[in-house]
Amino acid sequence: MNIGKTMLMELKNSWKGLTLFLIIVILLIAGFVQAHPSIREGFEEDKLDGEDNVEVKVREDGEVTVDLSWTYWAEDKEVDDYTVLVGYSPSMIVPLNREDGIETTTFSYGLERDDEGKIPELYFAVIANIGEDRELVGMETSFERRDSLMEIWGVDMRDIRGMISMLWDMWWVLLIGLYLGYISVNSVSKDFEERRMDVIFSTPISKRQYLLEKFTALALYMLFLLTVSGLIMVAAVGSLGELNSVSSTALFLSSVLSWPIFLVIIAFSILGAVYLEDSRKAIGFSFLIILVQYGINVVAGMAEGLEYLGSYTIISYWDHEAILFDEVHSVGNFVFILFLAVLIILGAILIFEKKDIPV
Amino acid sequence: MDKKPVLKIRGLTKKYGDVVGVKDLDLDVYLGEIMGFLGPNGAGKTTTIRCCLDLLQKTDGEVKIFGLDSHENAIEIRKRTGYLPGDFGMYDDLKVKTILNYLLSQSGVSDKTKMHELSDRLELDIGRRYGNLSKGNKQKVGIVQAFMADQDLIIMDEPTSGLDPLMQKKCYELFREERDNGKTIFMSSHILAEVEEVCDRVAIIRNARLQVVEKIDSLKDKMGKKLEIEFENDVDPKLFTMEGVEDFNLDGRHATMIVTSNLDEVIKRISKQNVMNMSFETFSLDQLFMTYYTSGGKGR
Repeated sequence: MNIGKTMLMELKNSWKGLTLFLIIVILLIAGFVQAHPSIREGFEEDKLDGEDNVEVKVREDGEVTVDLSWTYWAEDKEVDDYTVLVGYSPSMIVPLNREDGIETTTFSYGLERDDEGKIPELYFAVIANIGEDRELVGMETSFERRDSLMEIWGVDMRDIRGMISMLWDMWWVLLIGLYLGYISVNSVSKDFEERRMDVIFSTPISKRQYLLEKFTALALYMLFLLTVSGLIMVAAVGSLGELNSVSSTALFLSSVLSWPIFLVIIAFSILGAVYLEDSRKAIGFSFLIILVQYGINVVAGMAEGLEYLGSYTIISYWDHEAILFDEVHSVGNFVFILFLAVLIILGAILIFEKKDIPV
Repeated sequence: MDKKPVLKIRGLTKKYGDVVGVKDLDLDVYLGEIMGFLGPNGAGKTTTIRCCLDLLQKTDGEVKIFGLDSHENAIEIRKRTGYLPGDFGMYDDLKVKTILNYLLSQSGVSDKTKMHELSDRLELDIGRRYGNLSKGNKQKVGIVQAFMADQDLIIMDEPTSGLDPLMQKKCYELFREERDNGKTIFMSSHILAEVEEVCDRVAIIRNARLQVVEKIDSLKDKMGKKLEIEFENDVDPKLFTMEGVEDFNLDGRHATMIVTSNLDEVIKRISKQNVMNMSFETFSLDQLFMTYYTSGGKGR
């Protein structure tokens, strides 16, 4: 039996590039996870000045009222009064009221709901007036503040799970997907362009077996890469002592369960290579699909009302957030994407079987 | 020679869009012979060979190898057929040994004796990386891989291209030995001397159509002899209008003609005239081929 020979040959021929890429991925994961403590610190420093001194409570009893209370340790200074500044952002500050200077102060501020009936998100700043001097007591908001990445991506970078989720979202499909598209195209296109096809097909191998073995070789490589990545992820998070906030199984599976997504990338890259017979065109085709999918996914994640677009991308069928945060993953999604990959590679076989092998 | 066709082509036509690669080609290659396949560049040699191996899908016609359909039974056929492409590449970063082992195992052969014998015989170092080999050594790799699985039919597209004359001779010996051991060889070539030295029969293709299939010796006879005569007096051209005389041309008292048969009668008619000078030339194989290459053998 000659099954598996072409697969092994593919791995033998490209082992240097594949190994180098594996090392890059390992370093990326380990480095990214190890950077978590300093990134978390950075986000924690992003607090408003003196926000611990000021407390804001939103009260709704027919009307909406914001109750501000603050504490100021004037020590031996005597505070004349306080200025409370209200604005939709810290840069939009409007003087509102003055209160007699005592160390603990409360202040109520009436709000009107906006056109959509929502409570406006306001910033408050309390300033102590001491003679000619002005000292900031503290700032606070009438809403729960989230960091900007939380706003955009919906992940909290202070949580290790949020950070890993960010890695999967931003880097995984782009970095691995593009490289995988490139090597998948070349695994077939180079046989055309370096005139190996005639020799390969002088042996008793069918076009179907040839493509299936190329696909299997790359699929097994990806499974290996994702398994190693998952293990590295567990080790890196463990070294930070963070395994109490996320289970090692969830970490490992969040990597490995992305496998079908990459099988689809391998499959349509091979299809492009077979159909176009030109590595540059086929790589362009593969990159275009990956980038468009990625772009749609980003837009769907960011733009309100466009969430439904995400379901049109293969990436959305790998719900790493559900794996990391809830430790669940849809078997249906996994099987669907696996089935899609098989369907695409069967399409590639069908095209290849009807084509001449170019000189 | 056993008249059993190993390769049987009937009405083979291959079109690339509007361009015709091969048109209505009929050809038999018999068991235990070396069939040469000659023709100018672009005549359709490689197209024919690649259709036989199902690397190209034929537009029309039928190709049978070992009695099996070349398309339906391509895998079965390839198990028994070695092939050396005209223009081929391998894995540049891998050692020749690795590549040959892979191809041998693909053919389902585990015995590497012949691979090593052929490599030694052609002075090929199989421990070197393929990408580091010279053009000639790469061609040797192609020849070794075509023969190493000891298959029944060997198809080669310009097999000695890039080899030095000494190595070409070694290859000719190899081809003859393989034939003597019962193998059938179908090879295209540009080298006329190679065909003359190695092949039992030759097929000539031009402009996508087969011109002639003949044994080399009988081809020479069939092509006739060129006669050039200087007469003392004017002669009547009708004198040489007869069967077996072609391309008669009279320029004053200087006549040329090709005699393919009836030589005795031609000589008798010439002898009735006063002849000043006469030359009699048998076509060389080169000239024969060139006539087919340039005019399909019709306009010598």
